[in-house]
Amino acid sequence: MKVMVISADHAVAYAAKLARTEVVPSFPITPQTLIVEQLAEFINDGELDADFIPADSEHSVMSMAVGASAGGVRVFTATSSQGLALMHEMLYAVPQSRLPIVMANVNRSLGAASGIWVEYNDSMAERDSGWLQVYVEDNQEALDATLMAFRLAEDRRVLLPVMVCLDGFILSHTVERVDLPEQEEVDRFLPKFVPYNMLDPSDPKLMNPIVPPEYAMEMRYQLDRAVEHSREVIAEVDELFAREFGRSYGGLIDTYRLEDAEYAMLTLGTATGLARQVVDELRSEGKKAGLIKLRFMRPFPFKELCAACRDLKALGVFDRSASFNGGGPVYTEVAAALCNVPTTVTGHVAGIGGRDITPEHMREMYDIVEKASRGEKVRPVTWHGLRGDME
Amino acid sequence: MYEVRFHGRGGQGAVMAAQALAEAAVIEGRHAQAFPYFGAERRGAPVMAFARIDDRKISIKSQVYEPDLLVVLDESLLDIEPVARGLKKDGKAVINTRKLPTEIDLGVEVECATVPATSIAMEFLKAPIVNTAILGAVVRMCDLVSMESMQQAIANRFGEKFGETAAKANAAAAAAAHAQAAIGRCKGRRPLAQKKEWLPAWNEIPIGTTLDERIVDGVTVGPGGARQNLTGSWRVQTPRYDKEKCVRCQRCWFSCPEGCIKREEDEYVRWDLNYCKGCGICAQVCPVKAIDMIKGGSR
Repeated sequence: MKVMVISADHAVAYAAKLARTEVVPSFPITPQTLIVEQLAEFINDGELDADFIPADSEHSVMSMAVGASAGGVRVFTATSSQGLALMHEMLYAVPQSRLPIVMANVNRSLGAASGIWVEYNDSMAERDSGWLQVYVEDNQEALDATLMAFRLAEDRRVLLPVMVCLDGFILSHTVERVDLPEQEEVDRFLPKFVPYNMLDPSDPKLMNPIVPPEYAMEMRYQLDRAVEHSREVIAEVDELFAREFGRSYGGLIDTYRLEDAEYAMLTLGTATGLARQVVDELRSEGKKAGLIKLRFMRPFPFKELCAACRDLKALGVFDRSASFNGGGPVYTEVAAALCNVPTTVTGHVAGIGGRDITPEHMREMYDIVEKASRGEKVRPVTWHGLRGDME
Repeated sequence: MYEVRFHGRGGQGAVMAAQALAEAAVIEGRHAQAFPYFGAERRGAPVMAFARIDDRKISIKSQVYEPDLLVVLDESLLDIEPVARGLKKDGKAVINTRKLPTEIDLGVEVECATVPATSIAMEFLKAPIVNTAILGAVVRMCDLVSMESMQQAIANRFGEKFGETAAKANAAAAAAAHAQAAIGRCKGRRPLAQKKEWLPAWNEIPIGTTLDERIVDGVTVGPGGARQNLTGSWRVQTPRYDKEKCVRCQRCWFSCPEGCIKREEDEYVRWDLNYCKGCGICAQVCPVKAIDMIKGGSR
């Protein structure tokens, strides 16, 4: 193990290198650029034996990724925001073809209201594509989640692409301590890639042809079940990872000081780290506050959330993107998951377009959820840090 | 509610026929709908179209499973598709054929009109687009709409799209078919054609729908599936090649949608008639008229 002080972008690039990625189709976009630049350097310096393919657009990147993965090699790429949107069409080809491509998406707001800073409206828009999505809290998790993504994607029970989502700038351009695993450890954790769905001219196959209505429904249900069954494998991979590297992330969700909590926030991405600190403050004041960290948006942890919220009076759900007139996407999905649980659910939108989320904002969220837990009437959805009174 | 199902091949105009029938009913102040069902657009492939007519607004949008009237635009479909499936016992059928109703075994014995719509279409339209001719026979068979309304509907739909001359030719084809249709009862002796289909349950489809070549339930799936689908059986006209005239420009080879024109080593061409569906594009693009289409699907 080597201790480094690197950005999350570089941590992801190291993970792709340690995973012995074989093809990297790429197109640069801020704040993802550091990932593909670093990979280009690894390849140029002979540290990684892979093909680096500069593409003319992200649409081409994902097309190349599909071709390379169907050709039987381990593929990694990275994108962000408008780049992910441009990939949209090709993203849908991957899960239905069951190709285990791993991609980092450095979250950035999707314009208009264009900006280069973090917002989750880029990746949330792709949650119905069939890609598994994991959101990370810090640079170490960015590296670890990328390594786990390969193992998860390539598991024969899964065979699905995984999108590792990390906050633009807040992680991508922040350096912090990262423990870099040894190559031998990673090789033990992640065996050599053995393709399942492979196109080989000497053994002709037809992959995902155009189908009439007689077939599409069964194909979609097969994908629905594959995403559902990935839940078990996520838990297994987390345990395997803990055994090899000594770090565990809890699988689909993680909890913090939830055991005897009466109210809690559910967060994803870097807001989780802030929420941990606020929970500690509230606990020191004698308040029974807790935290649920949402790691996977797909598969969505319906059962795990119901179990975690069983004794909660109220749960606030943090969103770093809006669905417009209905709160954020995480809020609506959590509310649907908890429809048979008596927990009151409130929505909390913050940090839009990269606006900094302060400890005061997080404290404000917890205060509203505490009121809801006492049965007080509160807004269903609150925007925090908004100038002007909410309607 | 009166329900109609059309069976034809891509390019014969089944969809336009269903639409014109619906429009004729609307001209008479009734409610009607018409809609197609076909796969990736392909001339010659089996297609269906549906029409419904009622005195009230029609709310249903499902396909027609128990038609009152069956219209078959291509006789060859009787051998490969269960076209008469669900046809009501007191239903009616209109079939494009040179045969008399008593010579036709539809699999269900019903009142039937037969009409040589392909010959009529070739005469009036110079193309085997049989939809308007068959509509003339439909009017003759059922008192669903009047011939005046049908002629008006044909003029409206075809005039708008192809001009007045085309509208008149199509109306004339309908009138000729109305006059020439033979009425009788068809036979219902043979079992309906069994279509070989592979209909796997969700967990029987290979992961990622990645298929290797194999035969499942009698159907070839994966690479090589086209081997079983001899599109040459769709042909009602066949290219005739005059090698003397051929200038070896390869336009026919380039334009053939089935890829069934082969270039010989000397750059002359030949047709793989197992797959030539007789669309006539090669004859159309030939700059020296070295190719013409002759009647019939034989070799």
